[in-house]
Amino acid sequence: MRTLISASIAAFATLLGSTAAMATDWTPPGPIKLAIAFAAGGGADTQARLIAEELETRHGWSIVPEQITGKGGMNLALAIKDEPNDGSVIGMVVTETLGYNMRAAEAGVTPADFTPIVTTAGFQMGIVSQASKGWNTFHDVIAAAKDGERIRFGVMSPKLADIAYLLGKRNGVDLNIIQVAGGRAVMNGVNAGDMDLGFMAGIQSKGVAAGDLVNLASALSTPLGQTPDAPLLSDLGVEFSADGYFVFIGPAGMPTEAGEALASAIAEVVRDESTKAGGVIRNSFGGPTVITGEELNALVNSDFENAGALLAAASE
Amino acid sequence: MRPRSITNHVLGIGCIAASLTAIFLWIPSDTSTGLVETVRRQVSVGDALAPTVAAGFVLAGGALVHHRDGTASAKTRVTPGNLRFLVVLLSILAVSHAVMRWAGPAAAGLVTEEGYRALRNTIPWKHIGFFLGGSLLVTGLISSVEGRVTVRSILIGALATLAMIAVYDLPFEDLLLPPNGDV
Amino acid sequence: MGVFDYIRLGVLAVFGGPEMFSVLGVPISITLAMILFGFLLGIATGATPGLAGPVAMAISLPILISAFGFTPDALLPVMGFLIGVMKGATVGGAVPAILFNTPGTPDAFMTTLDGYPMARGGRAGKALRIAHFSSASGDTFSDVVLILCAPFLAILVESYLDLPEKTALLILSLAFISSVIGNSVGKGLISMGLGLFASFVGTGEDFYPRLSMGTQSLAGGFPVTTAVLGVLILGEVFKGIEDLRSERRSGAAPEPVMERGDQRLNRGDIGRLAPYIARSALIGTAIGALPGIGSTLAATLGYSLNRNRYERVKSTDDPAFGTGAPEGVAATEAANSSVSGANLIPVLSLGIPGNAAAVFLILAAESIGGFNPGPSVFRFSADTVNPELVIAFGLFTAMMLANLLNWTVGGVFMRSMGIMIRVPKHILLPIVLLLTLTAIYVQETRMEAMWFAIAFGVLGYFMRRLGMSPLPFVIAFLLGGKLEETARQAFAATGGDPFFLVTSPVAFAFIALSVGVIVFSLRRKKRAGA
Repeated sequence: MRTLISASIAAFATLLGSTAAMATDWTPPGPIKLAIAFAAGGGADTQARLIAEELETRHGWSIVPEQITGKGGMNLALAIKDEPNDGSVIGMVVTETLGYNMRAAEAGVTPADFTPIVTTAGFQMGIVSQASKGWNTFHDVIAAAKDGERIRFGVMSPKLADIAYLLGKRNGVDLNIIQVAGGRAVMNGVNAGDMDLGFMAGIQSKGVAAGDLVNLASALSTPLGQTPDAPLLSDLGVEFSADGYFVFIGPAGMPTEAGEALASAIAEVVRDESTKAGGVIRNSFGGPTVITGEELNALVNSDFENAGALLAAASE
Repeated sequence: MRPRSITNHVLGIGCIAASLTAIFLWIPSDTSTGLVETVRRQVSVGDALAPTVAAGFVLAGGALVHHRDGTASAKTRVTPGNLRFLVVLLSILAVSHAVMRWAGPAAAGLVTEEGYRALRNTIPWKHIGFFLGGSLLVTGLISSVEGRVTVRSILIGALATLAMIAVYDLPFEDLLLPPNGDV
Repeated sequence: MGVFDYIRLGVLAVFGGPEMFSVLGVPISITLAMILFGFLLGIATGATPGLAGPVAMAISLPILISAFGFTPDALLPVMGFLIGVMKGATVGGAVPAILFNTPGTPDAFMTTLDGYPMARGGRAGKALRIAHFSSASGDTFSDVVLILCAPFLAILVESYLDLPEKTALLILSLAFISSVIGNSVGKGLISMGLGLFASFVGTGEDFYPRLSMGTQSLAGGFPVTTAVLGVLILGEVFKGIEDLRSERRSGAAPEPVMERGDQRLNRGDIGRLAPYIARSALIGTAIGALPGIGSTLAATLGYSLNRNRYERVKSTDDPAFGTGAPEGVAATEAANSSVSGANLIPVLSLGIPGNAAAVFLILAAESIGGFNPGPSVFRFSADTVNPELVIAFGLFTAMMLANLLNWTVGGVFMRSMGIMIRVPKHILLPIVLLLTLTAIYVQETRMEAMWFAIAFGVLGYFMRRLGMSPLPFVIAFLLGGKLEETARQAFAATGGDPFFLVTSPVAFAFIALSVGVIVFSLRRKKRAGA
């Protein structure tokens, strides 16, 4: 499934030129409200605001960014659900919001209540510890835990907590899982020694490059760009992955014309490394990943459907 | 000995009652995880614990005020006059708030075809509600202190509101004045 | 990256930012200009009876944030401006106190005792110069202490305190704040408990937004600005409007006082006043470093300790304290001004605000993002640059620059501010009310937010009428989320140990101190009340 998607990303990239030309007629009805599900000042928030800025200069649109944080993007999703679907209200969340979180929240909404527009980048999600710990891969962590060391594992969402729990369970060790709000909090906790290791979705790249931090494992279904030799979750006995993307969404039933115009405008910006937004995406998120249209719908729906399996496995 | 303070008595009882209601009725029925819960075979703190502790502080404070702050100086009390003032204040706020919210959409609905939403980024439509509602608020409060409505207070209200439009709205593309983020 | 590299980077960040304009070919960075604007605005606000630093900070914050954006580049100009306001307001408060016997800010009350008699005796200019000199000295001293202490305290906390101890430290500061402010421990606890409770609405770890009663309006919780501005600013405005209604002032502005003779501050004066200023600066700094104890207490303590000393050494024909003694003005102003710098020690090293000005600095940092006041700021990383630490040293630079401005242009500007007494309060307060509501809407863009703020304003109004300090509410609201998170994490990290708060000696000591400070305050206040 995943490989199919990655292959089709490349195919879609070539297609996009034509959709861009097709959709240029659309102009937003008034200013666009851009809801952002991430704390102000973080990497994800910066990405959203820079994209908005670039869209304003390129197309003369007026975009008003606004923070609606909390509950893994569910607060944002519920807030924009009943807003006008003419493209004047959009939001940036992660695919996990429409997948695991929407499933687990049982708040009476499904991905069908939203229009996924386009993804901008994937996570470079690694399991990270301080280099001074002396661990090289996650196998060393398991060994330490088996020697009786109490391991504190920082996570930033319930989905990751489930994966961390399964990591311990499949390898026969107990991990003390600590859930915090956001990747920066995990990094601060690891740096302060409050946690021994934790998930970080790209924020670790500078520290890893400087040798202060170590990617012990890739939490993706594919190797990490920065540490390709780190084991995958599947090597550690866990059949799930933390694959995910930043995604723009709107309320359900957005006219195709509006959705496509927004998607192609955003895709152009994130692909252009000479823009500030493209630069941030290259530096912090390992380059753009643009998925849109039917492809994105299928991805979102399968994430939602498959979330049940992880929930069930982690509650056994 | 000073007389017992009725205000502190009411405050103490009120805090005790409110916090007990919160602890035994509101919190249990309006949180989805209890004081502690077991997830992933790990005991963890539930969502009800923190508010219960907070309500506990209000309870303790209320009990202390009730039992120990029996006497109080005349300055720390709430009189019926205070409550009347609040009614006046909140009425002025409510009316100007309503004008601020609906004046623009009403004007647009009467005069134009397309309605307010399409015009919410267009001068003068986007300023109608804020200008009228804001002026009403400032003028109303000045008049309530002066005890009469004067031309001067109307002018001050209008000028102050125009100044705020100039400061907040004109220089910044991304700022929305009320009610333009809601319509 | 050593300490000196960071100091250099911090200084550069202030001076090397984008150029605003240039004076004689020397470029003036935006941060520099913002510090100056903030400082002048602060003096004007402080000199206006009925306004204080927090009002100016509250209203300018959303404008500043929209002007500078949500990038880390915005932190220094915005926070530099706020620091300028904070320092300006401290100096400005003395102006109406001395000239018209009306303190501009609450902590300038003690300044009226000797400042106004001096002014009536024809020495207004001298009194203002003494106030300015003492205030600037106290402020500068306090900043030096901050810059020397905050990094070490932060490093100490970060290296020795684990999650349970951090939880206990937060509990200790809340216990301290609620029991030392105001005259009733009970009311302090209520204020703190309500603040915590309000911060827990809509938050929590589960997907259901707790205590939201199923509504979408409450699901996101109360926005920080609505609670802070509502209780601190709107509450005060509501009370002020009612007071004006009952006074129905005649509107006659007080007559300015005449000056006679030499108004200058000469070397002899400075030598004579220096010991008083030094004592007060020490008292103010020590008090400021403890969260929650404000400048009013510092002024009172500084004044009374120096009065005792003065009575012993003064010659018989010197005026006594309270009848126009220059030493009295110096003692008060040095004490209340030296609180402001030290107050930032707990903010920068622990993330715990101690007064209203600190609350607004935290609010600015939270709204802009990229700088989280707390121990993690002072991580001296070996190879990579820690951007938060650069900001911290940039803030220190901004404070020292504001002090420099204070020493150079502060005095002149301050002495021209007597005019602010003529601002009619009953016109000013409604405008402040509309400005605050607009500022909140601009940040939250929903009408509900204005109603939340008004509701918090009514709460703040009742608190003031009931003699309950609103500060424990605001600080608890800001710390509530952090307290719950740290406690959750400590509980999870210890593998679900329910006694995690008392098993380590340090955490136990903090908890014992928390109980101790509440019990002690109860007994002290009972004696004082009896």
